[in-house]
Amino acid sequence: MAPEKPIADYETVQTWRSGLREQWGEDLDMALRSSALERFCDFAGKDPDALIAECTREVESGKRIRIKARREYSEKIAEFQAASGSTLLAQRKLGNTIRSFFIHNGIFMQAGLSG
Amino acid sequence: MEFKEVIGRRRSIRFFDPDRPVEREKIQTILETARLASCAVNAHWLRAVVVERDKIPPEKLSQLKTPVAALTLDLAPVHIYFFVDLGTVVREKGSRLKELVDVGALAPSHGWSHKFVDDFVYPQILEPMTRNLEGYVPAAFADAGGAAQNALLAAFDEGLGACLNTPNPMLTRQVLGVPEDWVSMWVMLLGYPAESWEAGGQRPRPDFEELYFEGEYGKPFKRDEAVVEKLKAANMIQAPAPLPGRRDEIKKLTEELGLPE
Repeated sequence: MAPEKPIADYETVQTWRSGLREQWGEDLDMALRSSALERFCDFAGKDPDALIAECTREVESGKRIRIKARREYSEKIAEFQAASGSTLLAQRKLGNTIRSFFIHNGIFMQAGLSG
Repeated sequence: MEFKEVIGRRRSIRFFDPDRPVEREKIQTILETARLASCAVNAHWLRAVVVERDKIPPEKLSQLKTPVAALTLDLAPVHIYFFVDLGTVVREKGSRLKELVDVGALAPSHGWSHKFVDDFVYPQILEPMTRNLEGYVPAAFADAGGAAQNALLAAFDEGLGACLNTPNPMLTRQVLGVPEDWVSMWVMLLGYPAESWEAGGQRPRPDFEELYFEGEYGKPFKRDEAVVEKLKAANMIQAPAPLPGRRDEIKKLTEELGLPE
């Protein structure tokens, strides 16, 4: 990704941050989380807003999740964490950080224990 | 555990201890309760296939996962797939109903006889009903749902946690190799809770008087607070969610199990 602006300025990153705050009742340190997302954006070749936009579409009744795109990104996260070259635990943590970004932007995602 | 407390303690458990197996005896007890459920025309539509997570080939387990139940299928050591056997009425041709006459559950005092079943009930009501899928399928599902609810309550009575999910009907049938006329209903995920049994408290429900009426629609069935207090004392109506500390509990489970935050 060639970021056009700092990652924290993307709307979906702000949504993620406020979602985490709402869930856990406190502001979480976003430095490591944002850095992981930035690396994933590089890996996927998309900026954060584009990732989420690709997973949704507008229809007459409102917003819908694009199942195919969600599945593709789910697989891409698995590839990303596997390619990170760290321990299995660290890989899962990295993947789950990215999943958290998607989840707080309304894209349902589960990895399972082996994910 | 007393009946009312079982009702009160039941809530969908989604964090299971993945490493603690469920005793076979408990699984059988759960199935036994389903078998004894109330059942229209004694047809017994409910069928179940018990799957032990660690005994099913990983590729089959993977096929059974749905987007919303990928994690819980990994966490729960036992999965009970419930099906509705739509073929049972036509196969049995009223014989199970006649069993009720034989044992005195249905008697001439209420108009019942073998001849009534053979000449009227089966040929004129039951068999035609099976061809009216719009009516038959929901009726069979409702009946099977009641039996599955017995099983669900039994799980909690046995000290387990459980959660009902809707599996992919086509894949479930294919992976588990069930007959063509079995239709997938629910999967009950079963295991020992990794979360506390309270699981954050009793879930929010619509107001009582919004749901139930007396005599006619629009006239709410008045809720007597004295009864509510009695049910609280019996642990049926319990502290509502969220209980204090639920957020910390989720955080701890999330970290321990390595899940997204």
